[in-house]
Amino acid sequence: MSQKTSLYEEHCALGAKMVDFAGWDMPIQYKNLKEEVTAVRESVGVFDVSHMGEFFIEGKETYKFLDYLLPNHIEKAALYKAVYSPLLREDATIIDDLIVYKLSESKALICVNASNIEKDYNWISEQIKNFDCELSDHSEKYSLLALQGPESENILSQILDTDLSTLAYYGAKETKALNADLIIARTGYTGEDGFEVFASHETIKVLWKEMMIKEVKPCGLGARDVLRLEVCYPLYGHELSDHTTPYETGLKWTVKNDKKSYIGKEALINSTPKTKLIKIILDKGIPREGYQLENQDGVLLGEITSGTMSVVLKKGIAIARVDQEKFNKDDEVLVDIRGKKYNAQIVTKPFVSGGHK
Amino acid sequence: MSKVIEGLKYTEDHEWISVEGNIATIGITDFAQSSLGDIVFVELPEEGETLEASNSFGVVESIKSVSDLYTPISGKVVEKNNTVEEGPETLNDDAYGSWLIKIELSNTSELDSLMDSKAYTDYCEANS
Repeated sequence: MSQKTSLYEEHCALGAKMVDFAGWDMPIQYKNLKEEVTAVRESVGVFDVSHMGEFFIEGKETYKFLDYLLPNHIEKAALYKAVYSPLLREDATIIDDLIVYKLSESKALICVNASNIEKDYNWISEQIKNFDCELSDHSEKYSLLALQGPESENILSQILDTDLSTLAYYGAKETKALNADLIIARTGYTGEDGFEVFASHETIKVLWKEMMIKEVKPCGLGARDVLRLEVCYPLYGHELSDHTTPYETGLKWTVKNDKKSYIGKEALINSTPKTKLIKIILDKGIPREGYQLENQDGVLLGEITSGTMSVVLKKGIAIARVDQEKFNKDDEVLVDIRGKKYNAQIVTKPFVSGGHK
Repeated sequence: MSKVIEGLKYTEDHEWISVEGNIATIGITDFAQSSLGDIVFVELPEEGETLEASNSFGVVESIKSVSDLYTPISGKVVEKNNTVEEGPETLNDDAYGSWLIKIELSNTSELDSLMDSKAYTDYCEANS
């Protein structure tokens, strides 16, 4: 029996196609996926991402603990800022990727992937024991909306009757609006400007209704996946996994080895990356997860971790994991699609540059 | 409500078949194109290939999905529709006007198990 978000009835009434995602009954798309992607790139769209997990860390040593728990700088980051980081084991493999929202001197919100809530909670509660702070799981109390696209600020400011122009990219704050407590952050997973709003189920229902009145396009997880892949954001279970390290996943920028210690530091600095991620574009054919890559000599290089047709480029795009020893950047790369080989072009920049601030 | 055309034959995989002499033309139905969403890629077999009934003969892909195409009948591919391969979106615009392949039938009795438009309409209702 899968779980339902507080907006389940609204999704069904809008004719959404519902699928199981991490044990949740979620809208994969409403009427037209292409239109949903375009709305986010050009105007505004909203995603119900209430399946995601919300933890709080509260207490005197909140940031001392988070600096030890995570490889990125948390303590150093300014208050009212959000910080992206992987969560590592001692052996530097990735448990999850998450965002820490610094809400006060002694309180942080952590947003984690739905599929990893239990795994993360168990891990963090083991690590927190010697610190003067507490972990609590509020996933069931919060709903979460992601309003994304260049019109987001305008729409959300109107609905909440608040000036959001002062909230910077990756800024976060607790506020009161619609007679309720909200946490608003200028974050998202599309590469566009946008906001994520955490609030009670009742408040989120009100907010959703207001957005529908303002003709914000409801967007499903299908569009979300295309949008994040176009701007090359990694996804847990695809690019990130229990078996890879940040160095093998293009996440070196989230690892701060000037910190005295963090969980996984020793293993990571002594590790030799065996694989790495590359980005490819195809003129013909659509690369999909699991398809294999080979070079001009037929040597197997690796496989695709995420692939789709880009709505913006109208071409097949993919991220692939390749063997460091076999892959040579001057190689020709071919993708095996149902036995036929298609030429791929390697690119170093994201496929699409989002318009976020 | 998806469009169903009288006089065509239909499969449970949501393909339509029209028969003239010993040549069968195969396409996907309006129900199929609508549930697939934006069709962005089509792969068809080469002319001259021999297909067995229930074999996969190609794929249609939307942005997020790959679906196999199955032939309900055996025979040799005598023609494929290059226009559809070059512009797959025509399947969304006009599923019945955009045929995929023509097959020279090797066993006409295979046509007997196909649905007529009335049976297919009921089938779609039961599956939507």
